[in-house]
Amino acid sequence: MTTLAAAKPAPARKPRHPYRAALATARGRTGLALVGLVVLAGLLAPLLAGHGPTDQSALALAGPGTPGHPLGTDDLGRDLLARLLHGIRADLGIIAVAVPLGAAVGCLLALAAAAHPVADTVVQRAFDLILAFPGLILALAVTAVLGPGRLPVILVIALAEVPAFGRLLRTGILVQSGREYVTAARVGGTSGGRILTRHILPNAADPLVVQIAVSLTVAVFLEGAMSFLGVGVRPPEPTLGAVLSQSMPYLAQAPHFAAGPLVTVTTLVLGLSLTAEALNREIRR
Amino acid sequence: MRRYLLRRLPSALLVLLAASFLAFALLRLVPGDPAAVLAGPDASPATEAAIRERLGLDDPLPAQYLRWIGGLLTGDLGPSYAIGGQTADLIADGLGATVELTLGALLFVVALGAAFGILGATSRNRWTLGTVRVLTTGALAVPPFVTGVLLVLVFAVLLGVLPPGGRVPLLTAPDLGVQYLLLPALCLALPSAAVLGRYLKDGIERTLAEDHIRTATAAGIAPRRLLWRHALPNALPPVVTLLGMQTGHLLGGAVLVEAIFAWPGLGQLAEQALVRRDYPVVQDLLLLLVTVFVLVQLLTDLVHARLDPRIRWE
Repeated sequence: MTTLAAAKPAPARKPRHPYRAALATARGRTGLALVGLVVLAGLLAPLLAGHGPTDQSALALAGPGTPGHPLGTDDLGRDLLARLLHGIRADLGIIAVAVPLGAAVGCLLALAAAAHPVADTVVQRAFDLILAFPGLILALAVTAVLGPGRLPVILVIALAEVPAFGRLLRTGILVQSGREYVTAARVGGTSGGRILTRHILPNAADPLVVQIAVSLTVAVFLEGAMSFLGVGVRPPEPTLGAVLSQSMPYLAQAPHFAAGPLVTVTTLVLGLSLTAEALNREIRR
Repeated sequence: MRRYLLRRLPSALLVLLAASFLAFALLRLVPGDPAAVLAGPDASPATEAAIRERLGLDDPLPAQYLRWIGGLLTGDLGPSYAIGGQTADLIADGLGATVELTLGALLFVVALGAAFGILGATSRNRWTLGTVRVLTTGALAVPPFVTGVLLVLVFAVLLGVLPPGGRVPLLTAPDLGVQYLLLPALCLALPSAAVLGRYLKDGIERTLAEDHIRTATAAGIAPRRLLWRHALPNALPPVVTLLGMQTGHLLGGAVLVEAIFAWPGLGQLAEQALVRRDYPVVQDLLLLLVTVFVLVQLLTDLVHARLDPRIRWE
């Protein structure tokens, strides 16, 4: 067996999939590690926290290192570590629904646009209209109708992602369908649907993968921004943005109030940006 | 140029028209009777009837819409029921504050963007390059509410050199006004400055690699002159377009930055109107903000077409 294996010419090393190569770079690894850390903290929130996120103790605005409260307590005596961890959890829950939702709707619209010129015009104008509302103004508009809460936050994030994904995929499909290999497949008698699913879409997908990482950053941003504008998830439920915005009036007396969410949001978005950049570099090669 | 404008204008108008329908529909989508909501829980039926009369809520929808647009065009926006005062005055005050903030931020964007771009493209110092890279990556990734809180922590709480929020109009008290403007303008500007810096860096690097620069280098032109007279002007047009697009982003971002720094602009007015359910004001503001946004985009396209003739004939 061994001799036979040795006699065989060494097979050419199979090139690694570009995504895996991207995530194996120092940049990709750091990014994934940072994101993983935050996600893990969010997933394990109930185990790590030790207090409920809305439980109040007698300590109002206690500093860090108070017995039982490693990060201190907030103005209402709630444990800041518990609020931070459950805030991460809430953010992740919102983002995990909103970004895929926006991506799916955007991609479906792009497919419709690729199918028919009239649909293309309608879809393009719809994207223009969404983009004409700067993200946060869209947030205000949606909340004006639905009132503040979790649903409007998800909706605003999803709506903001629709044109991003839709335009990327539409451009990708247009570029790829002009390529010679598509013409070749068509001449070879491959059906339109098969060309789309087997040839065009896999080749148009790369920018979408990068966009997912970018969109997750945008989602963290929108959730936080909506909390700051008072149109986010309703208190007392904690989110990263909500905990941070509640700390604003106390920055002078109790800077530690803001520390947890500041570090967490920064870690999360830096991790996501590094991952996106690593993917982008590898794909563009 | 005029032909390009004529071709570009209809789609801009279409977007505006659709936006006005959306903003108009908002007030009607809100559950419950708008007049009752506006008048508040303790209002007498007479007040409610007066509001209903003033808003023309009993008229057919097209008539209501036309009356609203007519009011907007003639500047007659009526009184604000929840906030008090004339809507037009409220919006004028807010607009002044928001414009001041946006212009201040634009100055930062240009200055920081130019510094990031030129240093990033021409510096040979590892530390300078590293600093520029960390700053641009950070400014792009970290959301403004994080930078905002950090800026307040450092400059207002730790150092105590700048106020943590609020506004003194720049025109009434320039020296004090600048102090209040610095932090919010910087916070608003950072992401756009990072984008601009990256584009400028790429542009300069690309131009520096071109043939005419090699010719100029061979002719013995000093590197400094090469950069300022030859590379920079050629790298500039796409950056100018980008600056226009970023101005739109600044307007959108201003809503958030105003909330962080208690800056009494349009964003704060919108938030206030929303909280107090003053829907006519929300409706006016939405359309106003979208209009400004669309106009900035149109202007950007025109400047781009002016700088790059290929666009006009596409």
